[in-house]
Amino acid sequence: MQAMPAGSLVVLAVMLPVAAATLAPLLGARGAQRAIVLGLLPASLAVAAAIAAAVLRTGAAIPVHVGGWAPPLGIAFGADGLSAAFLLTGAVVMGATAIFAGRTGLGAAAGTGRAPLAFWTLLPALWAGVNLAFVANDLFSVFIALELLTFGAIPLVCLDGSRETLAAALRYLMFALLGSVLWLLGVALLHGTYGVLDLVLLRGAVRPDAATILAAVLMTVGLLAKAAVFPLHLWLPAAHAGAPAAVSAVLSALVVKAAFFLLVRLWFGTLPALLTPALAGLLAALGAAAILVGGVMALRQARLKLLVAYSTVAQLGYLLLMWPLVLATGPEGAGAWLGGVLQAVSHALAKAAMFLAAGLIAAALGDDRVAALGPAGRAVPLSVLAFALAGLSLMGIPPSGGFTAKWLLLGAAIETGQWWWALVVVGGGLLTGGYLYRVLSSAIGGEGEATAAVPLAPQAVALGLAVLSVGLGMLPLYSFGLVQVGRPGMAP
Amino acid sequence: MTAAQLLVVATPLAPLLLLAAGLPRATRRHLPALLWLAPLPGLAAALLAGGAPPLVLDPDRLRFTLALDAPAALLLGACALLWSAAGIHARAYLGTGPGAVRFAAWWLVTQSGSLGVFVAGDLIGFYLAFALVSLPAYGLIVHDGTPAARRAAAVTLLLAVLGEVALLLGFVLLADAVPGGSIAIADAVAALRGGKAPDLAIALLIAGFGLKAGLLPLHVWLPLAHPAAPMPASAVLSGAIVKAGIIGLLRVLPLDGSEAGWGAALAAIGFATAFWGVGCGITQRNPKTVLAYSTVSQMGLLAAALGLGMAAGEPGAALAIAFAALHHVLAKGALFLAVGVIAGLGGWRAMLLVLLPALVLALGFGGAPLTGGALAKAATKPLFGESLAATLAALSAAGSTLLMLHFTRRLAAGRGAGGVAPGLLLPWLLLAVAAMVLPWVLYPRLGLGDPLALPMPEALWPVLLGAALFAALRRWGARLPAVPEGDLLHPAERVLRATGGWGAGIARIEAALRVWPVAGMALLLLLLAVGATLTIGAR
Repeated sequence: MQAMPAGSLVVLAVMLPVAAATLAPLLGARGAQRAIVLGLLPASLAVAAAIAAAVLRTGAAIPVHVGGWAPPLGIAFGADGLSAAFLLTGAVVMGATAIFAGRTGLGAAAGTGRAPLAFWTLLPALWAGVNLAFVANDLFSVFIALELLTFGAIPLVCLDGSRETLAAALRYLMFALLGSVLWLLGVALLHGTYGVLDLVLLRGAVRPDAATILAAVLMTVGLLAKAAVFPLHLWLPAAHAGAPAAVSAVLSALVVKAAFFLLVRLWFGTLPALLTPALAGLLAALGAAAILVGGVMALRQARLKLLVAYSTVAQLGYLLLMWPLVLATGPEGAGAWLGGVLQAVSHALAKAAMFLAAGLIAAALGDDRVAALGPAGRAVPLSVLAFALAGLSLMGIPPSGGFTAKWLLLGAAIETGQWWWALVVVGGGLLTGGYLYRVLSSAIGGEGEATAAVPLAPQAVALGLAVLSVGLGMLPLYSFGLVQVGRPGMAP
Repeated sequence: MTAAQLLVVATPLAPLLLLAAGLPRATRRHLPALLWLAPLPGLAAALLAGGAPPLVLDPDRLRFTLALDAPAALLLGACALLWSAAGIHARAYLGTGPGAVRFAAWWLVTQSGSLGVFVAGDLIGFYLAFALVSLPAYGLIVHDGTPAARRAAAVTLLLAVLGEVALLLGFVLLADAVPGGSIAIADAVAALRGGKAPDLAIALLIAGFGLKAGLLPLHVWLPLAHPAAPMPASAVLSGAIVKAGIIGLLRVLPLDGSEAGWGAALAAIGFATAFWGVGCGITQRNPKTVLAYSTVSQMGLLAAALGLGMAAGEPGAALAIAFAALHHVLAKGALFLAVGVIAGLGGWRAMLLVLLPALVLALGFGGAPLTGGALAKAATKPLFGESLAATLAALSAAGSTLLMLHFTRRLAAGRGAGGVAPGLLLPWLLLAVAAMVLPWVLYPRLGLGDPLALPMPEALWPVLLGAALFAALRRWGARLPAVPEGDLLHPAERVLRATGGWGAGIARIEAALRVWPVAGMALLLLLLAVGATLTIGAR
């Protein structure tokens, strides 16, 4: 990659999906699908891999000033190790979903009329949104990323136009807009106080005065609403469960993760001077509540996709445990940081696999009630296997990525004497095991017949994602140095 | 990598490779017939690679380790032999249908973990192997699909997951204690006392491994699962799978006398389990349930020996316990297969081919002279010393005699007719002979002494006492109340059901939050709370 400076790669990571979204209406649904699967997917994977390689090689973040507009008011992009890891994850999940959707269509209700074209236009728009969130280095670019995600995701939720999905989309819209407004208010306050929008410059400038604290509060709660953190998770189950499988996968795996990513950026990258143990404790307590409530609700759902959606609520809770653990371990403790990031990445892969598998199971049986999954084991064995492997990763069974993540989080909790977070981690694992058991015991060896045949290729896609999520734990812990580049406390 | 190390690596991998080879549609139907091959690398490793230099990945930091020391080699060899024999039995027992292939898949995954626990020398590798031996056993138990099998499998899985949780916390505490980040078990155990909450760590580890080994009060899954599972699965459950708990205890407990208090506690739990198993077992009518309770009792006795050895810092404790466990693997595995064999035999053939060898094995559990069991008892005898513990051990031997005579009687009641396939008969005879002969071959080789020089009369009185008790049981046994399979589980289930309202409560809270005004209020409160944490706790 000598020919192309690393900075252009970062811009390319955003501009490629933007170009695809722009061209899609001209190409039509079929053409856009081909362009995305054959063009955008390999190109994005290559760009993400090249960025990761560049970050690993230099051991430093890549700064970019788009269009030559330097800070304080320019558009700043940048990619550190964390960005690179999430860009790679995003490319894998988006790519897999695109292949999946190309092979299956979008289901009966959403598969006709203008819905396919809308899907193939909005999918790259979402892709651009998540990539922009991962590389944006100024507050306004972040806002644009959040808006792209909102307006890309909401039409996708109600793609089939039914009454229930419209209601779910409306609720989602309310929460998402609220989050955007809170974020924008915070941005305005910060800009008014410091006259800069650049995240790096802000980090050096922030003072703990009233305006800054108010801005931090508004922006934090705004992101919590977008990340569906308990008790602001209420929009998620209906929206994620109502959407077509391919959409659910992207929403659960990436879109809520982008808000989490920005929360990490905000608190560990820009405002660490303001971060108090009390806030870290509050965030983790919200996470613990999410794990409990999400887990119990998932156990009680009658429908498979709602169960998976509530599982997302619970799994997002683990990510918030990072705050007190990273804060307490300090710069030398890499375990909690790595654990949190690994949890996010392995959950992204596992949850995408789960939603795709759940969609296939429902398509094969014509029914997605958990109690009626009997024929699934024989009708779509690969999908059930994908669901099981992804579930084992969520549960934290070795050698999966979820296990390694939990091992690191547990280790950090014990090391810093915060044993109550350790109890939360293992308790959540038990609940996960519980709802996984409900699904698998129903799906294996039951009675009944499948109503429709499901081709092998999309099942293989789901299985591939699940295997990746399990295989993530095989990466020897110490060689996973990528996400440490740009970690708080490390020299830039 | 030397040839010996290669065998150690192949031990847990061979079953998985066989499974991978058997997955394609073309080769699938051959899978059940090849089950007996998968444990052979493990058997070879036990014979040839015991004491080979350990294989260490990342030696400077994490120290992922594969190793096979002498006690583990004994257990590995016995378990591999049992898995192989039971594999032959499984083929004859299950036929060749699609159900047999599914069973074979669960079988091989469980086997990989069951053999893997003996060679894994680091915390993460061991945890992986232990999860493999614990969780897929569900598929073996549930195989018949009856309501009883489903319930037994569900209870077993729930308890196994709870055990995994206890172990995970215990392992994290162990790993935290090691300076420098090594996860080798030996390093972790050596550093245990210096870590945070060492007593909590030991308690969690004893709970997690004790559950698998069937120690009171976490033994309840054994008497449920063993009768519900298909015959060969019961054999490996009782013979090989519970030994994962024994090797776990041997690996993580400091045997150097530094934890005398915990040693005494483990001994107390062990003795209680030994007598509890006998007490519950003699009221059972299903021979497989009787055997399950006998396993509970025997594992209790091993745990007691381990606890006493741990308290005294006995250097040979691990080897002695592994030797006694080896006898249990072979004899108990054999007796489960006998239950499957006798259903097809009657008359003198049943007497000669099943009941007579079964009686010899049964008396062995009480330590009757000249049996393999007598040597197992002799090996662990120094651990029990001369005092109260020795008396308790002798009494439990009498109890074992009683229980196993009761088993033989229930076994005889299962005589049938119609003949038996050689695939069922041969593994049983093979294991029975191994259980009688192997202890005699190994005892002098392991430096435990001269088997012929053992004092006979001393070993005889518990057997005679047990026989007398058996006569009393025959006379008055009908008056005993029948203990339901899984004894303590039943009151525990009632308590659990009473707490089932919690989930509904949480669902109500969640539903309340969904109302718009409440959601708005929650948002407002959250804003205030975040603001408060930023101002009050500001540095």
